Amino acid sequence: MSIDLASVALGDVVATAEGPPFDAQALARYAQASGDLNPLHTDRAFAAKAGFPDLVVHGMLNMARLGRLVTAHFPAQQILSFSVRFEGVLLAGQATTMAMTLSARSEGGAEFELQMRTSGDQRIASGVVKVSTFL
Amino acid sequence: MFFQSTPVAIDRAHIGDTLAPFDVVVEPAALAAFADAIGETDPVYRHEIAPPTFMKVLEGKDNSSRRIMEALGVDLRRILHAEQRFEYHAPIRCGETVTVNRRVADISSRKEGLLELVLIETQFKSATGGLLGTSIQTVMVRNPKPGAT
Repeated sequence: MSIDLASVALGDVVATAEGPPFDAQALARYAQASGDLNPLHTDRAFAAKAGFPDLVVHGMLNMARLGRLVTAHFPAQQILSFSVRFEGVLLAGQATTMAMTLSARSEGGAEFELQMRTSGDQRIASGVVKVSTFL
Repeated sequence: MFFQSTPVAIDRAHIGDTLAPFDVVVEPAALAAFADAIGETDPVYRHEIAPPTFMKVLEGKDNSSRRIMEALGVDLRRILHAEQRFEYHAPIRCGETVTVNRRVADISSRKEGLLELVLIETQFKSATGGLLGTSIQTVMVRNPKPGAT
């Protein structure tokens, strides 16, 4: 589903998504697929020693979810740049909500702010994606 | 127990250091496994082109991120991935061979040296030398406070 940019105003939320909690199996799968084998994401005892009450979700897995929110509306070939600041730690078992807000537009392009928060409204990641509106 | 009076700064002479370029094949099985891991169901990003964050997987081959941090003398337990930026020039296609060039683009301090930021810039090129994209990773190093155990 693409977004009709003519019908939205700056500051409008153009897309939202729910991020179900990740479990240990999902984090192990991402560790294998990405090659990020830091035990903080896969070993509860290690995470506990580092001060976390549960496994820590890979920041890049959160960014991948924000990327899916973008590609659900714009094909990857239209994305010019995509940046994220990792602001908080998401733990296994925590659900998130994501939002994509129109922040700027120009002839042939648009820029959106991305936000990911826990259901408890804790900030996890924020970012910016720039897209070209022609291929 | 050894108490350090000042945080040990990363030697700024490392700015500009490069890793030997390496080639990575975008294996169909690796792309499908990545799609599964991020919950991507669109067949385009399973079988045809890499999804937006897949460059991170390519650049991390052979523990390259870890090798850079070790070369800088950074304690791996003190690092956090603070920011990540990707720039896209052309799609990375399933099956293609990508040449990966990584370099330490910058090292800077925050909070009187308690935090150091390392920028690693990675360029991805096609077999014909065309730029496919760039990844800029900001790694935050948390140095121990003076006098802390």
